[in-house]
Amino acid sequence: MEANSINPEKWVDRYADYLFNYTIVRVNDREMANDLVSETFLSGLNSMKNFKGEASERTWLISILKRKIIDHYRRNNSQKGQAEVKMQFRDSDNEGDWLEERVADLSHMTAEDEMENHELGLAILDCVDQLNEKQATIFKMKTIDGVDTETICNEFEISPSNLWVIIHRARTSLAKCLEKNWF
Amino acid sequence: MKLSCAEAEKVCTKAEYKEAGFMEKLRLKLHLYFCRTCNDYYHNNKKLSNLLKKAHIKTCSSQEKEAFRNKIKNGTSKGS
Repeated sequence: MEANSINPEKWVDRYADYLFNYTIVRVNDREMANDLVSETFLSGLNSMKNFKGEASERTWLISILKRKIIDHYRRNNSQKGQAEVKMQFRDSDNEGDWLEERVADLSHMTAEDEMENHELGLAILDCVDQLNEKQATIFKMKTIDGVDTETICNEFEISPSNLWVIIHRARTSLAKCLEKNWF
Repeated sequence: MKLSCAEAEKVCTKAEYKEAGFMEKLRLKLHLYFCRTCNDYYHNNKKLSNLLKKAHIKTCSSQEKEAFRNKIKNGTSKGS
């Protein structure tokens, strides 16, 4: 099998969103997630010679990122134990003793739901990565960032009907890609 | 009045972003009534939208990406 190559100029376009999503559910803070992702890119640069090409570039970057996230937890923990994991047993009498328990649960989701949605998010990004670059960018702008049609058309100098063809194709490939596991 | 399947699919997509006009939607409904294939497509498209909504994907802003790019560029020039 041919070894995977490494190509730092393309990292941001290819992996930034994926790494960012991977991080944000784990650290729950946009700025922190950004720092961790950029640290990951830098570490990647510095240890490029250790990349053996056995795994894909992204898998390799994720393995660096995982270590960064663990370090981040450790730092936090040593500061004040904020990141300590608590087991919660429902107990209506004592509910609300911990400050954390008084924070409103806005999502009304179980941990499993959240995990599943997170996995779904990564699966979708995985499939988006398989589109060509222009398709992927336009699709993300339109669907995830909710940029309006006119702005995108101006930026890429395409007509609205062109835009819809691109979005339509992207969605068709996405559906096909997600079909096996999520439909 | 009649819509081809290709056109119908395009209107489907537009409708998912709430950007299909009234007439377009009407013609689409009519088409879906007769066309099984497009009907399936329509429902799949809806499902995809739900999945996308459920996933809560967050993207980095273009400024954030630019910042990453600069860091990488500085990193490479230092390294070499």
